[in-house]
Amino acid sequence: MALRSQSFFAPLVKRVLQPFDITLRHGKRYQLVRKLFLSFSVLLTVGLPLWHLRALEVEGAGLAAGTRWSTVSRFLPATPPPFLGAPTSVWVGFFELVDPLEALATALFRGANWNLVWTVLPGVVLVVVFGRFFCGWACPYLPVLATANAARWLLSRLGLPTADVKLPRVTSRVVLVGVLIVGSVLGVQLVPLVYPPAVIGREAFRAVFYGSLGAGSLLVLTAFLFDTFVSRAGFCRSLCPGGAMFSVLGSASPIKVVNDRSKCTDCTVCDVICNLGQSPMTNTLDSGCERCGKCVASCPTKALSFKIVPLGVKRGDS
Amino acid sequence: MNRRGIIGAIAAAVALAVVPKKTRAAPVKKIRPPGALPRGAFEQACIGCFRCAEVCPTKVIQFPGVFSLDTATPFLELDDRACVLCMKCTQVCPTDALVPLKADVDVVAKEVRMGVPKLNRAACLPWTGHGICRLCYQVCPYPDRAVEVVGPQKAPLFHAEACVGCGLCQEACPETAQAIIIEPLP
Repeated sequence: MALRSQSFFAPLVKRVLQPFDITLRHGKRYQLVRKLFLSFSVLLTVGLPLWHLRALEVEGAGLAAGTRWSTVSRFLPATPPPFLGAPTSVWVGFFELVDPLEALATALFRGANWNLVWTVLPGVVLVVVFGRFFCGWACPYLPVLATANAARWLLSRLGLPTADVKLPRVTSRVVLVGVLIVGSVLGVQLVPLVYPPAVIGREAFRAVFYGSLGAGSLLVLTAFLFDTFVSRAGFCRSLCPGGAMFSVLGSASPIKVVNDRSKCTDCTVCDVICNLGQSPMTNTLDSGCERCGKCVASCPTKALSFKIVPLGVKRGDS
Repeated sequence: MNRRGIIGAIAAAVALAVVPKKTRAAPVKKIRPPGALPRGAFEQACIGCFRCAEVCPTKVIQFPGVFSLDTATPFLELDDRACVLCMKCTQVCPTDALVPLKADVDVVAKEVRMGVPKLNRAACLPWTGHGICRLCYQVCPYPDRAVEVVGPQKAPLFHAEACVGCGLCQEACPETAQAIIIEPLP
Protein backbone atom coordinates (compact mmCIF):
# COMPACT_ATOMS: atom_id res chain seq x y z
CA MET A 1 0.00 0.00 0.00
CA ALA A 2 2.90 2.28 0.69
CA LEU A 3 4.11 1.91 -2.86
CA ARG A 4 0.68 2.54 -4.25
CA SER A 5 0.48 5.97 -2.69
CA GLN A 6 3.84 6.94 -4.22
CA SER A 7 2.76 5.98 -7.69
CA PHE A 8 2.75 8.70 -10.27
CA PHE A 9 0.74 6.77 -12.84
CA ALA A 10 -2.23 5.59 -10.83
CA PRO A 11 -4.15 8.87 -10.52
CA LEU A 12 -3.29 9.78 -14.09
CA VAL A 13 -4.56 6.50 -15.46
CA LYS A 14 -7.62 6.53 -13.29
CA ARG A 15 -8.58 9.95 -14.49
CA VAL A 16 -7.59 9.92 -18.12
CA LEU A 17 -7.07 6.50 -19.56
CA GLN A 18 -9.49 4.13 -17.92
CA PRO A 19 -12.66 5.45 -19.54
CA PHE A 20 -11.42 5.28 -23.10
CA ASP A 21 -9.65 1.95 -22.93
CA ILE A 22 -6.54 3.62 -24.26
CA THR A 23 -3.51 1.45 -24.42
CA LEU A 24 -0.06 2.80 -23.85
CA ARG A 25 3.20 2.43 -25.66
CA HIS A 26 3.59 -1.30 -26.03
CA GLY A 27 1.63 -4.26 -27.26
CA LYS A 28 0.20 -2.04 -29.93
CA ARG A 29 0.16 -4.69 -32.60
CA TYR A 30 -1.77 -7.05 -30.34
CA GLN A 31 -4.27 -4.29 -29.65
CA LEU A 32 -4.54 -3.47 -33.33
CA VAL A 33 -5.31 -7.06 -34.24
CA ARG A 34 -7.78 -7.37 -31.38
CA LYS A 35 -9.59 -4.18 -32.26
CA LEU A 36 -9.74 -5.10 -35.94
CA PHE A 37 -11.23 -8.45 -34.99
CA LEU A 38 -13.67 -6.80 -32.61
CA SER A 39 -14.65 -4.21 -35.21
CA PHE A 40 -15.26 -6.97 -37.71
CA SER A 41 -17.45 -8.79 -35.21
CA VAL A 42 -19.46 -5.70 -34.35
CA LEU A 43 -19.72 -4.72 -37.99
CA LEU A 44 -21.08 -8.16 -38.85
CA THR A 45 -23.56 -7.95 -36.00
CA VAL A 46 -25.08 -4.69 -37.17
CA GLY A 47 -24.21 -4.89 -40.86
CA LEU A 48 -25.40 -8.37 -41.71
CA PRO A 49 -29.07 -7.62 -41.07
CA LEU A 50 -28.88 -4.69 -43.49
CA TRP A 51 -27.15 -6.76 -46.13
CA HIS A 52 -29.65 -9.59 -45.73
CA LEU A 53 -32.53 -7.13 -45.93
CA ARG A 54 -31.11 -5.84 -49.19
CA ALA A 55 -30.68 -9.33 -50.61
CA LEU A 56 -34.20 -10.27 -49.56
CA GLU A 57 -35.74 -7.24 -51.12
CA VAL A 58 -33.92 -7.81 -54.39
CA GLU A 59 -34.76 -11.50 -54.43
CA GLY A 60 -38.31 -11.13 -53.18
CA ALA A 61 -39.04 -8.19 -55.47
CA GLY A 62 -41.60 -6.68 -53.16
CA LEU A 63 -42.77 -9.86 -51.49
CA ALA A 64 -41.06 -8.78 -48.32
CA ALA A 65 -42.44 -5.58 -46.90
CA GLY A 66 -39.80 -2.89 -46.63
CA THR A 67 -38.86 -1.19 -43.38
CA ARG A 68 -37.35 2.18 -42.70
CA TRP A 69 -33.96 0.53 -42.96
CA SER A 70 -34.50 -0.13 -46.64
CA THR A 71 -33.29 3.39 -47.36
CA VAL A 72 -29.94 2.53 -45.77
CA SER A 73 -29.63 -0.97 -47.13
CA ARG A 74 -30.14 -0.06 -50.78
CA PHE A 75 -26.53 1.05 -50.94
CA LEU A 76 -25.37 -2.48 -50.22
CA PRO A 77 -24.63 -5.10 -52.89
CA ALA A 78 -27.61 -7.08 -54.10
CA THR A 79 -25.91 -10.46 -53.80
CA PRO A 80 -26.60 -12.33 -50.56
CA PRO A 81 -23.79 -12.02 -48.01
CA PRO A 82 -21.42 -14.97 -47.53
CA PHE A 83 -22.25 -15.06 -43.82
CA LEU A 84 -25.32 -16.10 -41.92
CA GLY A 85 -26.34 -15.70 -38.33
CA ALA A 86 -25.69 -13.76 -35.17
CA PRO A 87 -22.35 -13.81 -33.27
CA THR A 88 -23.32 -16.88 -31.30
CA SER A 89 -24.01 -19.06 -34.30
CA VAL A 90 -22.34 -18.14 -37.54
CA TRP A 91 -22.23 -19.86 -40.87
CA VAL A 92 -19.18 -18.62 -42.72
CA GLY A 93 -19.53 -20.13 -46.15
CA PHE A 94 -18.00 -23.51 -45.53
CA PHE A 95 -18.50 -24.30 -41.86
CA GLU A 96 -20.65 -23.50 -38.87
CA LEU A 97 -19.67 -22.12 -35.52
CA VAL A 98 -22.05 -22.36 -32.57
CA ASP A 99 -21.48 -20.87 -29.17
CA PRO A 100 -20.48 -23.56 -26.61
CA LEU A 101 -23.00 -22.28 -24.07
CA GLU A 102 -25.99 -22.43 -26.40
CA ALA A 103 -24.84 -25.77 -27.73
CA LEU A 104 -24.57 -27.06 -24.16
CA ALA A 105 -28.07 -25.86 -23.35
CA THR A 106 -29.43 -27.55 -26.45
CA ALA A 107 -27.52 -30.74 -25.73
CA LEU A 108 -28.79 -30.82 -22.14
CA PHE A 109 -32.40 -30.66 -23.26
CA ARG A 110 -32.24 -32.60 -26.46
CA GLY A 111 -29.22 -34.83 -26.16
CA ALA A 112 -26.00 -34.26 -28.03
CA ASN A 113 -25.57 -35.21 -31.64
CA TRP A 114 -22.54 -35.18 -33.88
CA ASN A 115 -23.80 -32.24 -35.88
CA LEU A 116 -23.80 -30.16 -32.71
CA VAL A 117 -20.37 -31.45 -31.67
CA TRP A 118 -18.76 -30.51 -34.98
CA THR A 119 -20.25 -27.04 -35.00
CA VAL A 120 -19.10 -26.34 -31.47
CA LEU A 121 -15.67 -27.96 -31.66
CA PRO A 122 -13.62 -25.15 -33.27
CA GLY A 123 -14.84 -22.68 -30.68
CA VAL A 124 -14.19 -25.03 -27.78
CA VAL A 125 -10.65 -25.79 -28.98
CA LEU A 126 -9.93 -22.07 -29.31
CA VAL A 127 -11.26 -21.40 -25.82
CA VAL A 128 -9.33 -24.29 -24.27
CA VAL A 129 -6.12 -22.94 -25.78
CA PHE A 130 -6.67 -19.19 -25.50
CA GLY A 131 -8.94 -19.02 -22.47
CA ARG A 132 -11.82 -16.62 -22.23
CA PHE A 133 -10.72 -14.71 -25.32
CA PHE A 134 -14.18 -14.35 -26.90
CA CYS A 135 -15.17 -11.79 -24.26
CA GLY A 136 -12.30 -9.48 -25.13
CA TRP A 137 -12.07 -10.17 -28.83
CA ALA A 138 -15.49 -10.69 -30.32
CA CYS A 139 -18.34 -9.96 -27.93
CA PRO A 140 -20.62 -7.28 -29.43
CA TYR A 141 -21.43 -6.15 -25.91
CA LEU A 142 -17.97 -4.55 -25.65
CA PRO A 143 -18.98 -1.24 -27.28
CA VAL A 144 -21.80 -1.01 -24.75
CA LEU A 145 -19.34 -1.74 -21.96
CA ALA A 146 -16.97 0.95 -23.25
CA THR A 147 -19.88 3.40 -23.23
CA ALA A 148 -20.74 2.37 -19.67
CA ASN A 149 -17.14 2.91 -18.60
CA ALA A 150 -17.12 6.30 -20.27
CA ALA A 151 -20.34 7.13 -18.42
CA ARG A 152 -18.70 6.08 -15.16
CA TRP A 153 -15.80 8.34 -15.94
CA LEU A 154 -18.13 11.21 -16.73
CA LEU A 155 -20.02 10.65 -13.49
CA SER A 156 -16.82 10.71 -11.49
CA ARG A 157 -15.68 13.86 -13.26
CA LEU A 158 -18.97 15.49 -12.35
CA GLY A 159 -18.33 14.55 -8.77
CA LEU A 160 -21.21 12.10 -8.61
CA PRO A 161 -20.65 8.89 -6.70
CA THR A 162 -20.31 5.66 -8.64
CA ALA A 163 -20.58 2.39 -6.83
CA ASP A 164 -18.30 -0.50 -7.69
CA VAL A 165 -19.80 -3.56 -6.10
CA LYS A 166 -17.54 -6.54 -6.48
CA LEU A 167 -19.64 -9.65 -6.54
CA PRO A 168 -17.75 -12.87 -5.82
CA ARG A 169 -16.41 -14.76 -8.80
CA VAL A 170 -18.73 -17.68 -8.16
CA THR A 171 -21.79 -15.55 -8.96
CA SER A 172 -21.46 -15.99 -12.70
CA ARG A 173 -21.14 -19.76 -12.33
CA VAL A 174 -24.25 -19.80 -10.16
CA VAL A 175 -25.99 -17.79 -12.88
CA LEU A 176 -24.75 -20.23 -15.51
CA VAL A 177 -26.06 -23.31 -13.72
CA GLY A 178 -29.19 -21.47 -12.61
CA VAL A 179 -30.07 -20.40 -16.13
CA LEU A 180 -29.68 -23.94 -17.39
CA ILE A 181 -31.76 -25.43 -14.57
CA VAL A 182 -34.52 -22.82 -14.64
CA GLY A 183 -34.63 -23.10 -18.41
CA SER A 184 -35.05 -26.82 -18.22
CA VAL A 185 -37.78 -26.52 -15.57
CA LEU A 186 -39.67 -24.13 -17.79
CA GLY A 187 -38.86 -26.16 -20.87
CA VAL A 188 -37.46 -23.22 -22.83
CA GLN A 189 -34.06 -21.97 -23.80
CA LEU A 190 -33.24 -19.18 -21.37
CA VAL A 191 -29.67 -18.75 -22.53
CA PRO A 192 -30.53 -16.75 -25.67
CA LEU A 193 -32.52 -14.37 -23.46
CA VAL A 194 -29.77 -13.52 -20.99
CA TYR A 195 -26.59 -13.92 -23.03
CA PRO A 196 -25.64 -10.52 -24.52
CA PRO A 197 -23.99 -11.68 -27.79
CA ALA A 198 -27.07 -13.73 -28.65
CA VAL A 199 -29.43 -10.98 -27.55
CA ILE A 200 -27.61 -8.22 -29.41
CA GLY A 201 -27.36 -10.28 -32.60
CA ARG A 202 -31.06 -11.06 -32.52
CA GLU A 203 -32.11 -7.55 -31.59
CA ALA A 204 -30.06 -6.10 -34.44
CA PHE A 205 -31.86 -8.38 -36.86
CA ARG A 206 -35.24 -7.64 -35.35
CA ALA A 207 -34.65 -3.91 -35.49
CA VAL A 208 -33.64 -4.00 -39.13
CA PHE A 209 -36.15 -6.58 -40.34
CA TYR A 210 -39.26 -5.53 -38.47
CA GLY A 211 -38.37 -2.10 -37.16
CA SER A 212 -39.09 -3.10 -33.56
CA LEU A 213 -37.17 -4.15 -30.49
CA GLY A 214 -37.88 -7.10 -28.25
CA ALA A 215 -37.37 -7.91 -24.61
CA GLY A 216 -33.68 -8.48 -25.30
CA SER A 217 -33.03 -4.77 -25.63
CA LEU A 218 -34.22 -4.48 -22.04
CA LEU A 219 -31.52 -6.90 -20.93
CA VAL A 220 -28.83 -4.90 -22.69
CA LEU A 221 -30.17 -1.70 -21.14
CA THR A 222 -30.22 -3.30 -17.70
CA ALA A 223 -26.68 -4.56 -18.14
CA PHE A 224 -25.58 -1.11 -19.26
CA LEU A 225 -27.15 0.54 -16.23
CA PHE A 226 -25.68 -2.12 -13.96
CA ASP A 227 -22.22 -1.56 -15.43
CA THR A 228 -22.58 2.19 -15.13
CA PHE A 229 -24.08 2.66 -11.70
CA VAL A 230 -23.47 -0.50 -9.73
CA SER A 231 -20.34 -2.29 -10.76
CA ARG A 232 -17.63 -1.68 -13.33
CA ALA A 233 -17.98 -4.34 -16.04
CA GLY A 234 -20.07 -6.12 -13.42
CA PHE A 235 -22.21 -7.94 -15.93
CA CYS A 236 -19.25 -9.41 -17.81
CA ARG A 237 -17.35 -10.14 -14.64
CA SER A 238 -19.94 -11.68 -12.41
CA LEU A 239 -23.26 -12.21 -14.16
CA CYS A 240 -22.74 -13.29 -17.75
CA PRO A 241 -23.33 -17.05 -18.11
CA GLY A 242 -21.31 -17.10 -21.32
CA GLY A 243 -18.32 -15.57 -19.57
CA ALA A 244 -18.62 -18.20 -16.85
CA MET A 245 -18.80 -20.93 -19.47
CA PHE A 246 -15.67 -19.65 -21.20
CA SER A 247 -13.90 -19.29 -17.85
CA VAL A 248 -14.60 -22.89 -16.96
CA LEU A 249 -13.64 -24.19 -20.40
CA GLY A 250 -10.51 -22.07 -20.57
CA SER A 251 -9.32 -22.56 -17.00
CA ALA A 252 -6.50 -24.80 -18.23
CA SER A 253 -5.38 -22.39 -20.93
CA PRO A 254 -1.57 -22.16 -21.02
CA ILE A 255 -1.48 -18.64 -22.44
CA LYS A 256 -1.33 -16.20 -19.57
CA VAL A 257 -0.35 -12.70 -18.66
CA VAL A 258 2.84 -12.92 -16.64
CA ASN A 259 4.40 -10.15 -14.62
CA ASP A 260 8.19 -10.02 -14.55
CA ARG A 261 8.42 -8.75 -10.99
CA SER A 262 12.00 -7.56 -11.44
CA LYS A 263 10.76 -4.93 -13.92
CA CYS A 264 7.53 -4.06 -12.14
CA THR A 265 7.36 -0.74 -10.33
CA ASP A 266 4.00 -1.42 -8.68
CA CYS A 267 2.40 1.50 -10.47
CA THR A 268 -1.03 -0.25 -10.56
CA VAL A 269 -1.74 0.84 -14.14
CA CYS A 270 -2.54 -2.71 -15.16
CA ASP A 271 -4.80 -3.34 -12.19
CA VAL A 272 -6.69 -0.14 -12.85
CA ILE A 273 -7.09 -0.68 -16.58
CA CYS A 274 -8.40 -4.22 -16.20
CA ASN A 275 -12.15 -4.36 -16.67
CA LEU A 276 -12.50 -7.75 -15.07
CA GLY A 277 -10.92 -7.10 -11.70
CA GLN A 278 -7.80 -9.13 -12.31
CA SER A 279 -4.52 -8.12 -10.73
CA PRO A 280 -1.62 -8.52 -13.17
CA MET A 281 0.54 -6.42 -10.89
CA THR A 282 0.55 -9.06 -8.19
CA ASN A 283 0.52 -11.90 -10.72
CA THR A 284 -2.88 -13.01 -9.49
CA LEU A 285 -5.03 -13.62 -12.53
CA ASP A 286 -7.62 -16.35 -12.76
CA SER A 287 -9.60 -17.88 -15.59
CA GLY A 288 -11.65 -14.68 -15.72
CA CYS A 289 -8.90 -12.99 -17.76
CA GLU A 290 -10.28 -12.25 -21.21
CA ARG A 291 -6.86 -11.90 -22.93
CA CYS A 292 -7.63 -8.40 -24.08
CA GLY A 293 -3.98 -7.50 -23.47
CA LYS A 294 -4.74 -4.01 -22.26
CA CYS A 295 -2.59 -4.54 -19.17
CA VAL A 296 0.32 -5.70 -21.35
CA ALA A 297 -0.07 -2.73 -23.64
CA SER A 298 -0.36 -0.25 -20.80
CA CYS A 299 2.59 -1.38 -18.72
CA PRO A 300 5.08 1.51 -18.67
CA THR A 301 8.05 -0.71 -17.87
CA LYS A 302 7.18 -3.66 -20.13
CA ALA A 303 7.02 -5.93 -17.13
CA LEU A 304 3.90 -7.69 -18.40
CA SER A 305 3.76 -10.05 -21.33
CA PHE A 306 1.79 -12.98 -22.65
CA LYS A 307 3.66 -16.19 -21.90
CA ILE A 308 2.99 -19.85 -22.30
CA VAL A 309 2.72 -21.26 -18.81
CA PRO A 310 2.09 -25.01 -18.67
CA LEU A 311 -0.53 -26.25 -16.27
CA GLY A 312 0.86 -26.84 -12.80
CA VAL A 313 3.63 -24.26 -13.08
CA LYS A 314 2.99 -21.19 -11.01
CA ARG A 315 2.79 -17.87 -12.76
CA GLY A 316 5.91 -15.83 -12.19
CA ASP A 317 8.16 -18.83 -11.64
CA SER A 318 10.55 -19.77 -14.44
CA MET B 1 -9.87 -26.21 -9.13
CA ASN B 2 -10.14 -26.67 -5.39
CA ARG B 3 -12.26 -29.20 -3.52
CA ARG B 4 -15.21 -26.88 -3.06
CA GLY B 5 -15.21 -26.18 -6.78
CA ILE B 6 -15.19 -29.84 -7.64
CA ILE B 7 -18.05 -30.60 -5.24
CA GLY B 8 -20.00 -27.68 -6.67
CA ALA B 9 -19.36 -28.85 -10.22
CA ILE B 10 -20.53 -32.38 -9.41
CA ALA B 11 -23.67 -31.06 -7.68
CA ALA B 12 -24.40 -28.86 -10.69
CA ALA B 13 -23.86 -31.74 -13.11
CA VAL B 14 -26.23 -33.98 -11.13
CA ALA B 15 -28.86 -31.25 -10.97
CA LEU B 16 -28.57 -30.64 -14.71
CA ALA B 17 -28.79 -34.34 -15.44
CA VAL B 18 -31.88 -34.91 -13.28
CA VAL B 19 -33.96 -31.74 -13.46
CA PRO B 20 -34.55 -31.45 -17.23
CA LYS B 21 -36.27 -34.82 -17.34
CA LYS B 22 -38.52 -34.30 -14.34
CA THR B 23 -40.27 -31.03 -14.84
CA ARG B 24 -41.63 -29.31 -17.87
CA ALA B 25 -44.16 -26.58 -18.31
CA ALA B 26 -46.58 -26.75 -21.22
CA PRO B 27 -45.20 -24.70 -24.12
CA VAL B 28 -47.18 -22.00 -25.88
CA LYS B 29 -49.12 -22.99 -28.98
CA LYS B 30 -47.71 -21.26 -31.99
CA ILE B 31 -47.30 -21.95 -35.67
CA ARG B 32 -43.66 -22.92 -36.07
CA PRO B 33 -41.56 -22.83 -39.25
CA PRO B 34 -41.55 -25.91 -41.49
CA GLY B 35 -39.58 -28.93 -40.32
CA ALA B 36 -39.84 -27.85 -36.69
CA LEU B 37 -39.44 -30.48 -34.01
CA PRO B 38 -42.60 -31.36 -32.05
CA ARG B 39 -43.86 -28.75 -29.61
CA GLY B 40 -41.78 -28.80 -26.45
CA ALA B 41 -38.75 -30.25 -28.16
CA PHE B 42 -38.59 -27.29 -30.50
CA GLU B 43 -38.51 -24.71 -27.71
CA GLN B 44 -35.61 -26.54 -26.12
CA ALA B 45 -33.57 -26.98 -29.28
CA CYS B 46 -33.98 -23.49 -30.71
CA ILE B 47 -31.27 -21.03 -29.68
CA GLY B 48 -32.98 -18.03 -31.25
CA CYS B 49 -30.15 -17.23 -33.63
CA PHE B 50 -32.51 -15.66 -36.15
CA ARG B 51 -31.03 -17.49 -39.14
CA CYS B 52 -34.37 -18.87 -40.30
CA ALA B 53 -35.90 -15.41 -40.35
CA GLU B 54 -32.75 -14.14 -42.02
CA VAL B 55 -33.20 -16.29 -45.10
CA CYS B 56 -37.02 -16.31 -45.22
CA PRO B 57 -37.93 -14.73 -48.58
CA THR B 58 -41.38 -13.58 -47.48
CA LYS B 59 -40.34 -12.60 -43.95
CA VAL B 60 -43.24 -14.62 -42.64
CA ILE B 61 -40.99 -15.95 -39.89
CA GLN B 62 -41.25 -13.58 -36.97
CA PHE B 63 -39.81 -13.24 -33.51
CA PRO B 64 -42.17 -12.09 -30.76
CA GLY B 65 -41.50 -8.59 -29.52
CA VAL B 66 -43.43 -8.85 -26.29
CA PHE B 67 -42.49 -10.07 -22.85
CA SER B 68 -42.70 -13.80 -22.83
CA LEU B 69 -40.37 -16.65 -22.19
CA ASP B 70 -40.75 -17.52 -25.84
CA THR B 71 -39.20 -14.30 -27.09
CA ALA B 72 -36.26 -16.11 -28.58
CA THR B 73 -38.13 -18.59 -30.77
CA PRO B 74 -39.47 -18.02 -34.28
CA PHE B 75 -43.10 -18.40 -35.28
CA LEU B 76 -45.15 -17.76 -38.41
CA GLU B 77 -47.31 -14.67 -38.72
CA LEU B 78 -49.78 -15.78 -41.38
CA ASP B 79 -52.10 -12.78 -41.37
CA ASP B 80 -50.88 -11.02 -44.48
CA ARG B 81 -48.01 -13.27 -45.51
CA ALA B 82 -47.49 -16.92 -46.17
CA CYS B 83 -44.81 -19.55 -46.26
CA VAL B 84 -43.81 -20.35 -49.82
CA LEU B 85 -42.31 -23.69 -48.78
CA CYS B 86 -38.79 -22.87 -49.99
CA MET B 87 -37.38 -24.85 -47.02
CA LYS B 88 -34.40 -22.50 -46.76
CA CYS B 89 -34.99 -22.02 -43.05
CA THR B 90 -34.66 -25.74 -42.39
CA GLN B 91 -31.31 -25.87 -44.13
CA VAL B 92 -29.68 -23.08 -42.12
CA CYS B 93 -30.75 -24.13 -38.61
CA PRO B 94 -27.58 -24.77 -36.58
CA THR B 95 -29.15 -26.94 -33.88
CA ASP B 96 -31.58 -28.90 -36.06
CA ALA B 97 -34.56 -27.44 -34.24
CA LEU B 98 -35.78 -27.27 -37.82
CA VAL B 99 -34.93 -30.59 -39.41
CA PRO B 100 -33.31 -30.04 -42.83
CA LEU B 101 -35.73 -30.77 -45.68
CA LYS B 102 -35.52 -30.61 -49.45
CA ALA B 103 -37.84 -28.22 -51.27
CA ASP B 104 -39.49 -31.17 -52.96
CA VAL B 105 -43.26 -31.42 -53.30
CA ASP B 106 -43.48 -34.95 -51.98
CA VAL B 107 -40.96 -34.50 -49.16
CA VAL B 108 -42.76 -31.36 -48.00
CA ALA B 109 -46.15 -33.05 -48.23
CA LYS B 110 -44.90 -35.89 -46.09
CA GLU B 111 -42.80 -34.06 -43.48
CA VAL B 112 -44.25 -30.58 -43.01
CA ARG B 113 -47.18 -29.91 -40.69
CA MET B 114 -47.15 -26.31 -39.55
CA GLY B 115 -50.79 -25.85 -38.67
CA VAL B 116 -54.33 -26.93 -39.42
CA PRO B 117 -56.74 -25.01 -41.65
CA LYS B 118 -60.01 -23.87 -40.12
CA LEU B 119 -62.72 -22.78 -42.56
CA ASN B 120 -65.48 -20.55 -41.33
CA ARG B 121 -68.29 -21.52 -43.68
CA ALA B 122 -70.45 -18.63 -42.53
CA ALA B 123 -67.88 -16.23 -43.97
CA CYS B 124 -66.79 -18.19 -47.05
CA LEU B 125 -68.17 -16.68 -50.27
CA PRO B 126 -69.10 -19.91 -52.11
CA TRP B 127 -70.52 -21.54 -48.98
CA THR B 128 -72.75 -18.53 -48.35
CA GLY B 129 -73.81 -18.44 -51.97
CA HIS B 130 -72.03 -15.25 -52.90
CA GLY B 131 -70.17 -16.57 -55.91
CA ILE B 132 -67.52 -18.87 -57.27
CA CYS B 133 -64.38 -17.78 -55.50
CA ARG B 134 -61.88 -20.67 -55.64
CA LEU B 135 -58.97 -18.44 -54.59
CA CYS B 136 -57.83 -20.86 -51.91
CA TYR B 137 -57.99 -23.73 -54.35
CA GLN B 138 -55.93 -21.84 -56.91
CA VAL B 139 -53.10 -20.88 -54.56
CA CYS B 140 -52.93 -24.17 -52.69
CA PRO B 141 -49.67 -26.04 -53.42
CA TYR B 142 -51.59 -29.29 -52.94
CA PRO B 143 -54.89 -28.80 -54.80
CA ASP B 144 -57.32 -31.71 -54.62
CA ARG B 145 -55.33 -33.14 -51.73
CA ALA B 146 -55.36 -30.43 -49.09
CA VAL B 147 -58.37 -28.58 -50.47
CA GLU B 148 -61.00 -29.69 -52.94
CA VAL B 149 -63.93 -27.80 -54.34
CA VAL B 150 -67.42 -29.23 -54.26
CA GLY B 151 -70.82 -28.33 -55.54
CA PRO B 152 -72.02 -25.95 -58.23
CA GLN B 153 -70.31 -22.97 -56.60
CA LYS B 154 -66.98 -24.74 -56.08
CA ALA B 155 -67.06 -24.41 -52.31
CA PRO B 156 -63.80 -25.45 -50.66
CA LEU B 157 -63.41 -28.49 -48.44
CA PHE B 158 -60.20 -28.72 -46.45
CA HIS B 159 -58.43 -31.91 -45.52
CA ALA B 160 -56.24 -31.19 -42.53
CA GLU B 161 -54.31 -34.45 -42.85
CA ALA B 162 -52.94 -33.42 -46.25
CA CYS B 163 -52.49 -29.71 -45.47
CA VAL B 164 -48.98 -28.46 -44.71
CA GLY B 165 -50.25 -25.23 -43.19
CA CYS B 166 -48.35 -22.81 -45.39
CA GLY B 167 -51.06 -20.17 -45.10
CA LEU B 168 -51.21 -19.28 -48.80
CA CYS B 169 -55.00 -19.76 -48.72
CA GLN B 170 -55.33 -17.56 -45.65
CA GLU B 171 -53.37 -14.86 -47.44
CA ALA B 172 -55.41 -15.25 -50.65
CA CYS B 173 -58.83 -15.32 -48.99
CA PRO B 174 -60.59 -12.02 -49.80
CA GLU B 175 -60.34 -9.28 -47.20
CA THR B 176 -64.12 -9.11 -46.98
CA ALA B 177 -64.41 -12.81 -46.18
CA GLN B 178 -61.33 -13.93 -44.22
CA ALA B 179 -62.89 -17.31 -43.88
CA ILE B 180 -59.72 -19.35 -43.52
CA ILE B 181 -57.41 -19.32 -40.55
CA ILE B 182 -54.42 -21.60 -40.08
CA GLU B 183 -54.43 -22.61 -36.46
CA PRO B 184 -51.47 -23.99 -34.48
CA LEU B 185 -51.26 -27.75 -34.24
CA PRO B 186 -53.44 -29.11 -31.42
